[in-house]
Amino acid sequence: MIGELYRQRALIWAFANRDFATRYRSSILGWAWSLLQPLATLLVYAAVFSLVFRIQAPPLGSDPDRTSFAAFLFTGMVTFNLFSGLLMLSMTQLKSNGELLRKVHFPAWTPILGASVVQLVQVALELIVLIAMFLWLGNIGISWLLAIPILIGTAMFGQGIGLMLSVVNARYGDVQYIVQVILQALYFLTPILYPLSLVEGTADWLAAIVKANPLTWFVEAMHQVMYSLTTPEWWVIPGLLVFGFAVFWAGFTIFNRSSEDIGELL
Amino acid sequence: MTDNFAVELDNVGKRFMRHADRRNTLKERIVRGRSRSTQDFWAVRNVDVQIPKGSVYGLIGHNGSGKSTLLKLITGIYRPTEGTITTDGRVAALIELGAGFHPDMTGRENIKLNGSILGLSKSEIDNAMETIIDFSGLREFIDDPVKHYSSGMYVRLGFSVAVHMKPDVLLVDEVLAVGDEEFQRKCFDHLYTLRREGRTIVVVSHGLGQLEGLCDEVAWLDHGTVQEIGPATEVIGSYLQRVNAEEAKANAGIAATRDDTTMRAGSGVIRSTSAKLIDYQGDSINHAETGTTFGIEVNLHCYEQVLGPNVRIAFQHETGPLVTMMSNHRIQHDFGYVEGDKTISAFLTDNPLLPGRYRVHIDVFDHTGSVLIDNWDDALEFTVRSPRGEIGQGFIELPYTYDIR
Repeated sequence: MIGELYRQRALIWAFANRDFATRYRSSILGWAWSLLQPLATLLVYAAVFSLVFRIQAPPLGSDPDRTSFAAFLFTGMVTFNLFSGLLMLSMTQLKSNGELLRKVHFPAWTPILGASVVQLVQVALELIVLIAMFLWLGNIGISWLLAIPILIGTAMFGQGIGLMLSVVNARYGDVQYIVQVILQALYFLTPILYPLSLVEGTADWLAAIVKANPLTWFVEAMHQVMYSLTTPEWWVIPGLLVFGFAVFWAGFTIFNRSSEDIGELL
Repeated sequence: MTDNFAVELDNVGKRFMRHADRRNTLKERIVRGRSRSTQDFWAVRNVDVQIPKGSVYGLIGHNGSGKSTLLKLITGIYRPTEGTITTDGRVAALIELGAGFHPDMTGRENIKLNGSILGLSKSEIDNAMETIIDFSGLREFIDDPVKHYSSGMYVRLGFSVAVHMKPDVLLVDEVLAVGDEEFQRKCFDHLYTLRREGRTIVVVSHGLGQLEGLCDEVAWLDHGTVQEIGPATEVIGSYLQRVNAEEAKANAGIAATRDDTTMRAGSGVIRSTSAKLIDYQGDSINHAETGTTFGIEVNLHCYEQVLGPNVRIAFQHETGPLVTMMSNHRIQHDFGYVEGDKTISAFLTDNPLLPGRYRVHIDVFDHTGSVLIDNWDDALEFTVRSPRGEIGQGFIELPYTYDIR
């Protein structure tokens, strides 16, 4: 798998370049727009959930007396967006490249990964905003470095699921709408808008669902290293990496097996 | 696989599932289960074809005979349901030109992207870039988004990219019919260049005249199976025979008016009964060669004695234009009184017709040249080939001289 990915790097890059060049070509503010949506969401959610529902964020790692709901919320949002962005984008790629796949023979996953490369740039922009937020709050720590493997795991997780679903979506066009609804539900079943401790006080089944949600593991790890500036147990991060890699490997294998006749399917 | 073949198809078959009602949404799939009324449909079957390296190979057949499916199998877009396909070297397809072009990207960016999709490395693309731009003739517009291109420009750019991939095997599907006259010629010249370089070309086309000039070997497909494989002229000949026979059967009425002498226009005192292609000695031939004298032999039946009839033999090129007409009146050859059965031979000296397919119309007029006696359209159809193998420009070669001072 790795060898295959490496051999096709030029093609992946070519698709990435195409998507990069065309994504915001016709809008003046270009990349700025891509930040507008998450920042607007952040603003609305932060206002509603901290002021109306009075949800308390846990104390900041640098100063246990202070909290920042916005920073807490954005940490979770960035992680979740990385997952859902890759997943949704990957899922629609086969269709949008259908014209090409029906006429030229090349590995069908290359346009998918190319699109993902561009999506990662968007995530990087969000990360910069997040880091700026923490710098402004003075909440800085060496544990930040651990965010890198966590985000890699998240990306592989999202990409793996995206690859699996892309073939299904090519066959049944309504899958993407179902997935959209599921993602929306998952957003609220992941401790993004509330700390995990808040769920523990509610119904047991709800807490069980939230804890069984793999996204909770990734988001919680990010909360720890970025917000609380603590280090998770030693096995957490390797575990997340192995999990992410396993899902990606499975997605890639399933994709390759089921996309052999993609030229006929589209 | 021996080293002599660029593409080898061994008992290849491709089956498509024809869903009477395809389950396109999850709901339908869940509610109604797997669709039951699937029918097997073999697009091609039992195909054994060996394409020698460095040859130009043609695929002919009626629409839906499986030609394009075969090309898609060779490129790998489809996988064969049975049998094996072995290809040697890089395969590039001119199946749909410019398929990968993104409308918002410039011509230059699209060349890069298309090159990568077709399997070129970055340095290979950079090396070929200028040649591709020159070949396309679109240098002026190369940095404009291709959405502003005309459809012709689009195709030119696509063709330019594909042929500069330096493919070992180039698959061409009906794309030569695009672009203007000048660009088409350029494409043909380029195909000949590729051929000289020892690359293999597989062509699908309905332009039988073009194919005959270009191809070494031709395979004729009919309903997904191979009917005949062999030298281009022979196979195209038998294909045409079949097509004509079927057309005659299908258009029984129309054919009757054409060939049935009683249904023809004109006074009818003379009827042309048969016509054939002959060489300068009067022997039957099945094609003519540029530069070599050949003739048309026409059998006439006169119902009455007629004075000095005018027999006109017109040649029409496959693309439509009437190229030339032979007339005994024009060369002051008076037949005098004719009666009974007569055989007329008209020879075209040093045949100036350039390669292509021609249709022959035979008309008979009275001695004044103004009253129609018999009109026989499409009496004959034949191919002109060039002994040197090249395809000329235009329809006829006139005598000319050159001088340099």
